[in-house]
Amino acid sequence: MTWRRLAVIGLLLLFVVAAVGAGCAKKEAPAPTPAQPAEPEKPKALRVGLVFDIGGRGDLSFNDAAYAGLERAQKEFGDKVETKYLEPSAGGENREQLLRLLAEDKYDLIFGVGFMFTEHVAKVAQEFPDTKFGLIDGFIDKLTESSNISCLLFKENEGSFLVGAAAGLKTKTNKVGFVGGMKIPLIEKFEAGYIAGVKYVNPKVTVFSDYIGTTGEAFKDPVRGKELALSQIKKGADIVYHASGASGIGVIEACSSQKKLVIGVDSDQSLTAKPEQRPYVLTSMLKRVDVAVYETIKAALEGKFQGGYQVFGVAEDGVGYAVNEYNQQMIKDIQDRLEELKKKIISGEIKVPQDKKELAEFEKALPK
Amino acid sequence: MRKRYRYVALELASPLVAIAFAVLVGAVVIAAIGKNPVQVYRIMFTFAFRRLDSVGIMLFGATPLIFSGLAVAISFRAGLFNIGVEGQYLIGTFLAALAGFALKGLPSFVHLPLVIVVAALGGALWSLLPIYLKVRRGVHEVISTIMLNYIAFSLIHYLIADVFMDKQQGLMPGVGNPLIRLPKIAASALMPRMHGFLALLGVDLPRHVYLNWFFPLGLLLAVAVHYLIWRTAFGYELRAVGHNPAAAEAAGIDPAAVQIRAFLLSGLIAGVTGLSDLLSYFGYMDLDFPKGYGFTGIAVALMGKNSPLGIVLAALLFGFLNRGAEGVQTFAGVPMDTVVILQGVMILSIVVASAVMGRYIRRQERKEALGASW
Repeated sequence: MTWRRLAVIGLLLLFVVAAVGAGCAKKEAPAPTPAQPAEPEKPKALRVGLVFDIGGRGDLSFNDAAYAGLERAQKEFGDKVETKYLEPSAGGENREQLLRLLAEDKYDLIFGVGFMFTEHVAKVAQEFPDTKFGLIDGFIDKLTESSNISCLLFKENEGSFLVGAAAGLKTKTNKVGFVGGMKIPLIEKFEAGYIAGVKYVNPKVTVFSDYIGTTGEAFKDPVRGKELALSQIKKGADIVYHASGASGIGVIEACSSQKKLVIGVDSDQSLTAKPEQRPYVLTSMLKRVDVAVYETIKAALEGKFQGGYQVFGVAEDGVGYAVNEYNQQMIKDIQDRLEELKKKIISGEIKVPQDKKELAEFEKALPK
Repeated sequence: MRKRYRYVALELASPLVAIAFAVLVGAVVIAAIGKNPVQVYRIMFTFAFRRLDSVGIMLFGATPLIFSGLAVAISFRAGLFNIGVEGQYLIGTFLAALAGFALKGLPSFVHLPLVIVVAALGGALWSLLPIYLKVRRGVHEVISTIMLNYIAFSLIHYLIADVFMDKQQGLMPGVGNPLIRLPKIAASALMPRMHGFLALLGVDLPRHVYLNWFFPLGLLLAVAVHYLIWRTAFGYELRAVGHNPAAAEAAGIDPAAVQIRAFLLSGLIAGVTGLSDLLSYFGYMDLDFPKGYGFTGIAVALMGKNSPLGIVLAALLFGFLNRGAEGVQTFAGVPMDTVVILQGVMILSIVVASAVMGRYIRRQERKEALGASW
């Protein structure tokens, strides 16, 4: 009669689980939030929460940059901040619930990493007027300085313009490439700035442009990234810039294996590339999400949090090109020129296009 | 006869044993990352069951899975494996979103049902080709539906990003990124939430819960599907074809006709899967619209053994696991990856336990039958 024994064991296990559950539940007052570990609460710590976008930590790019900012704040401010980060489910349908849970749990400053959070931050911020929110890359209409939302926005096109100029100055074949991740306006902004930069310094250059795909998968498909870069190299490109998240690992691999130059994106990818690939990383377009997160936490600590829009362009050092011990020899000869272009962007003399339409006008206005 | 009841009891106990087993394995995983399993489980259960909003969120989370689970189950009953629910619901959702913003000025009692019908037809449309290829050309439906899923993803990306994208999102010139989404759906097409009704029952559901009338609709549909499978002539044919198409044909049933109808019905139900999210939570469709309900629906149907009651229970279990995961992540500091492992362990042990238990029962029955004949 094995089945009876099985059933008895099953029921016993069930009772144990139920009893543990019920026992614990009884101890708990009907308080909505379960108890935190019983260490004494530091009185004035600023509680900072961050919700990643799908993929979370480890993408060597966007999410990791946000985490770096959080980590730096934790390190520098020590006891004065308390940080926590969450990651949405694979489908992303619980972004809003996670923001709300952090707000309920009395976090003072909450970040949504990525423009997909736009509507959710707007909704939750309205429900929790005393909580401050930082929204990276997303834009919410009609905010003022006293709003509890700060949109942290980047001029990716300006940074891309500078690395485009570097490519235009460095190319020997007068052909360069661009590999984008998902075909969305955000990535087209990188592309437009890059092409403008190339053409500004060297109108003779042809730019090949390819996109990896049409879903979020396009940002984590190194195989396709490699294929596209190789085909651009075959057509004669000797420098390829990618804006494709983790797919860029394949682009870097393609270029270094063919002894061509590659330009990284978001963080300084000379540092994350393999040692044998480093000589081929010309530079990286830096998008300082880490700085934006860190500065916002710092401002909140000092009581200077400002709602509205914080724009990070070349002028604010929010975007730029990377110089490090591995590439300084490579870009030494063009660095003066890049700095000059930087000044022109800051002064407004160069207005970097941000989409296809503006790019066409930009190219038309260039001296032939 | 008493024996029979014991088997039924045993079959019912099997998922419970499985859950207990999964809880134990989960405890090992939790202990391995240096957390206290008892505390983590306590947080998971109190968070999920002692908060009214959590209960509502679990029901809301179960809603799409009831639809996708039923869609998978119907095709499964006819001996077909519909992997294409994923693509079918995305197409259905897209067409519903289109009908939701493009048609204006309709009264709600016309607009909302119309949008639901459009979604169902969209799902059926996307199931038309695979079943045609299956019946007329012998192409296996697993292959064709998987391929059609990819086509659906890319087609929808193209239609949302390049054709119908909402350009009026009031961006500041020069910075900010628009959501890649369709225009917002007219209010007349939105599904009311259940707050008003629940208030009549004395339940004050927090405003941020999106529980809406698609949940009771899903339950009704489960009842209807149960009736269809077990109480109608078509249901009988469906089961006969599913068990043995050759025998069914010999008995005068046309397997092709039955399979076509079953598959289209599966597509109709699949088409509605995304509407609970679309018409009460988002109010627009964007590129990031929740994906995976179709694939999870397969797991739900398997766990529920293709019975509507089982599917509802399995969908609720998924709702609990997802909500519990949020609580565990937020309040117990267990990382998302560990939570995903816990969910996987739980699903796997339920499927395995029910298979083992089913085999055991069949073996016992056979033994008894043999014993009786001796």
